[in-house]
Amino acid sequence: MSDQTVTQTNEEQQSNDSTEQRSNSLTVDVETDERLVDSWTDYEFEDEAAITVEDLDVYYGDDHAIDSISMEIPERSVTALIGPSGCGKSTFLRCLNRMNDRIDSARVEGTVEVDGENIYEGDTDLVQLRKRVGMVFQSPNPFPKSIRENVSYGPRKHGDVNVGLLGRLLGNDDREVEREIVERSLEQAALWDEVSGRLDDNALGLSGGQQQRLCIARCLAVDPDVILMDEPASALDPVATAKIEDLIEQLAEEYTVVVVTHNMQQAARISDQTAVFLTGGQLVEYDDTDKIFENPESDRVEDYVTGKFG
Amino acid sequence: MSTTELHEQLKDRLGVESADDSVVTLGAVGALCLLGSAVAFLIGSPFTALPLAGFLFTVGYGLWNHQATTAKALTFLATIATGAILALITVYLIIEAFPAIREMGLAMFTKTSGRMWITRGEEVYSLVPMMWGTLVTTVLAMLIAGPLGVAGALFISEIAPDAVREIVKPAVETLAGIPSIVYGFIGFTILNDYMMENLDLPSSGSLVIVGLVVGLMALPTVVSVAEDAISSVPESMKSGSLALGTTDWQTIKNITLPAAFSGVSAAVLLGVGRAIGETMAATVILGHAQVLPEPLYDVFGNTETLTSLIASQYGVASSTHMSALFAAGVVLFVTVTVLSIASQYIERRMQIQLQGDT
Amino acid sequence: MSEQTATRTAAPAVDLFDRIALGVVGLSIVTFLLGWTTLFERTGTDTAVAGLSLFTLFGAVFLLAGIGLLVSGIASYVGAFETTADRYTGIGTGLGLGIVGFAVGGLATTILFGVGATGSVLVGLVVGLVVTSGVAVLPEDLGTTFPVGLLGLAWGGLLVTGAVDAGWFWNPPSLDATFHAPIVVPLATIALSLLIAWSGAIVAEGFGSQGRQNGAYLLIGLNAFGMIAVLLLLILFVVQKGLPKLLEGAQFGPGLGISVPFLTKGVMLGQQYNGIFPAIVGTIWLVIGAVLLAVPIGIGAAVFLTEYAEQGRFTAIIETTTNALWSTPSIVYGLFGYAFLVPRFGNSNSLLAGMFVLGFMLLPLVVITSRESIKSVPDEYRDASAALGVNQWQTIRSVVLPAAMPGVVTGVILGVGRIAGETAPILLVTSGQPFPARAPSILGSFRFVATPPFVQNEALLQASSALPYQLYAVITAGVGQEEAFGWGTALVLLLVVLGFYAIGIASRIYFRRKLHQ
Repeated sequence: MSDQTVTQTNEEQQSNDSTEQRSNSLTVDVETDERLVDSWTDYEFEDEAAITVEDLDVYYGDDHAIDSISMEIPERSVTALIGPSGCGKSTFLRCLNRMNDRIDSARVEGTVEVDGENIYEGDTDLVQLRKRVGMVFQSPNPFPKSIRENVSYGPRKHGDVNVGLLGRLLGNDDREVEREIVERSLEQAALWDEVSGRLDDNALGLSGGQQQRLCIARCLAVDPDVILMDEPASALDPVATAKIEDLIEQLAEEYTVVVVTHNMQQAARISDQTAVFLTGGQLVEYDDTDKIFENPESDRVEDYVTGKFG
Repeated sequence: MSTTELHEQLKDRLGVESADDSVVTLGAVGALCLLGSAVAFLIGSPFTALPLAGFLFTVGYGLWNHQATTAKALTFLATIATGAILALITVYLIIEAFPAIREMGLAMFTKTSGRMWITRGEEVYSLVPMMWGTLVTTVLAMLIAGPLGVAGALFISEIAPDAVREIVKPAVETLAGIPSIVYGFIGFTILNDYMMENLDLPSSGSLVIVGLVVGLMALPTVVSVAEDAISSVPESMKSGSLALGTTDWQTIKNITLPAAFSGVSAAVLLGVGRAIGETMAATVILGHAQVLPEPLYDVFGNTETLTSLIASQYGVASSTHMSALFAAGVVLFVTVTVLSIASQYIERRMQIQLQGDT
Repeated sequence: MSEQTATRTAAPAVDLFDRIALGVVGLSIVTFLLGWTTLFERTGTDTAVAGLSLFTLFGAVFLLAGIGLLVSGIASYVGAFETTADRYTGIGTGLGLGIVGFAVGGLATTILFGVGATGSVLVGLVVGLVVTSGVAVLPEDLGTTFPVGLLGLAWGGLLVTGAVDAGWFWNPPSLDATFHAPIVVPLATIALSLLIAWSGAIVAEGFGSQGRQNGAYLLIGLNAFGMIAVLLLLILFVVQKGLPKLLEGAQFGPGLGISVPFLTKGVMLGQQYNGIFPAIVGTIWLVIGAVLLAVPIGIGAAVFLTEYAEQGRFTAIIETTTNALWSTPSIVYGLFGYAFLVPRFGNSNSLLAGMFVLGFMLLPLVVITSRESIKSVPDEYRDASAALGVNQWQTIRSVVLPAAMPGVVTGVILGVGRIAGETAPILLVTSGQPFPARAPSILGSFRFVATPPFVQNEALLQASSALPYQLYAVITAGVGQEEAFGWGTALVLLLVVLGFYAIGIASRIYFRRKLHQ
């Protein structure tokens, strides 16, 4: 447990309470499954943790969407979050870059540490956070702008690239820098070869799969550490899906990737470790992907991954 | 064309699948009655009631025996009636305006020197001062309603927390409900005096007051329509920008507003239409001088707008004078209809754009 | 750890820099409000605060705020405080301040040197261009504070030194108007305090994207606050002015019952309290007639367009037509009624013609709102009904229309609120005597006769008053003694119209809540 959480004694108390509650409810829920108890908390990674979540609870009004989840997400790997719909996996993902702030009724308790800093602490700069933790959404959402502008949108808005009229007039615009960023990001997103000749076309003219890779490129252009993906291939056809999956595996060499999916084969194919969420916003099991799919601790998880339920 | 063919066609039109001849006969009788009453009404015959009664009887019989078909036919008639009203307005305005336009020719819209509006003796009807008055008040009004309206729409749809939005949105709608004559009354009793007192104006009533009041009145229209446009920008697009680490304001400025640009301009156009057509405030506040202000930009002076001209003179007008008022109505009607169609075109383009069919 | 709401309100480390910025914002919002009260003559040149006359106080505030802004700008520029200022202020802000520069430069030229319109516009343009380009290329912390701070110092100096005092005026040679200090000073103060508040808000967040957001949100928030304030002030003002007349001679007593002569009497000679009863009845009948005409046709058209017609050219034309009708000015409807309806309804102004014209005006609104709510009925309902073997009309009648009804009702109520306040068409087709003594008696006037059109109703074909027209009549009759009568009428009209709006909006909220449960 980090220093920051220890100092906050008051809330610490509270979170201990909720941990107890959780284990209580767990034993009630899965009486038949004695082996389950805290099996995954022993799970150790070879790499450093990029994100550490402790006792995270999310409420939408009275609705308890995330029920006291703790987990560590190792850096430079693919972590898959799977589970039936409504299990809270997307909500959990949105906690990691505080996109839940968009929803007025959402209330978040607990700590999420990115690089050792609790992002739910008072003076967290959302701009800096979201620069470090990028996000790719379920359906492609390119801006109605040119391909180039889509990719360079983040750097431009952060003032890293200055290509406005003023810069041009004063003769110190960053067109060269922008070109490099656009090319690098599109190459990383495996899109460069397809669009290099038409960077100034409207991005909405691209196919669905291309749009999604453009969104990934757009996210990479900001140079994040972590990339969150919310069912990135669910709106795409099989060919486009395969491309996105290849891309995710490549990205994990440099970035920490957290991907939500309801497609278990996809999770098995691309991820290094898998977290299984079942109904009620609970994390039931979290382990190496192979372990989860071949020999899970929990019977419920076994039923789920073998398709008996969910 | 044989009667059977006619029957078949009628059946097609009415969507009757079964070859039920009584329905077709009924439809024919109803249509004839309605046509009869429409013609009778148009020529001003006192016998209008007869075919109308026949039509109502047919409808009653139809609703009793062939409800589905009759209902469909009735809804179709209602649709036609809606369209017919616009057609009738157009036709009657133009018919009534024709004598004045024939007498004055193009000078009605171009004469800018000498006395421009003489209703007795050597009649002269030039709409130029009124068109200028309408233009000036509309520009003033939109300087207020345009920016404030768009800002208000942004506040409601993007910035305000839910609880605040629940107050501001109905309040803006209610603002739209305050009758123009109430604004006019306040302008007439309070603002006119205030201006005369504090600005040493020689006469009561000035374009700037009308512009101010009309701007306030057009404001809710701009807010409501622009808000619809802004909130129709998909949330996914805004999330996409925010997830890259931009501030809310950057997202509004760079993503939301550009995406909603057409809708917002449609809102402003509609606001312009409202401002142009606003009658009572101008009628009550202005001093009704059918002259161009001197100098032209003197917004503290008195002139006339197209609407206030009609409202203030219809009671004393006859023949060519009345016809000239209808000509003013035609100018208003054409301008506002063009604005309305333009704003609809822009809105439709925005929808297509957002769906990505560019 | 953090409950999110708690983290949001947690106080940031307050340092000197923040305090200066927040002080600037606070001061300028106070002067902004004082500027308005002065413009409305609630406070005036003789108002003294802490021994200072109001204008001197304004001046002192602007001097302080100007210095505050300049200091913060320089402090940020030399790096005394850590800010996130951008390299350039940018063209957008430059243009905005350039427009201010244009206005200030032009006005100053013509006021100080008596230069004519063309000359001062030219000077203004030059000043504006210089400000725009200068500000645009300055670093953000200087560009957003310096022009505003200098302007604050200049205006504050003029006020404090008395160069512009309560007796100051400017008489532009080309206009009839003379601008006196009691109007000019508050207006300039309002405008300048907005600018300063904007600049201070940017400083408070340390410039950069957060600062610009803060500045923009401040202005947008003030605008929303302003709209609410206008609404409340308008209503309160009319209530305050109209209530005495409304309650004149009114009696509320246990033995006497309730009597409000203003609402129950006409205007008659020798009557102690005159009232607007005929106008109220007129408005009620107009609204009833318009609703009876517009609602069936409107809903019918909406059903046809949404349920029966194939979406194509025809529906597009009708949709365009409906929207065009919706934006057609009311006076044009009036002219149409005058030319088309009046000759056919006995060649004189009549209640019936008014009903038709208002009905025509209500029609497009009914079509538009009904279409919206019919469209929003989910297709599943229709499919479920059709799957049970029910034909299309029965589906519409028993599934679609009931589901769409809340939306339709809300739309109609709001539309009625709108037409109840319409004056222009009434003026042309219905109005008669400005201060009638008796209300039209519609129900008692039906006669069946042997000649066409067989049914007669004298009252329907007679001119009538209506609330908005009554108010207009007061104005044309000239102010003076009747003004109180006018305020009373305005209050009743406002109550009627806002009543419809309140019911409409409340029912919409009610139905929406019910839907979400």
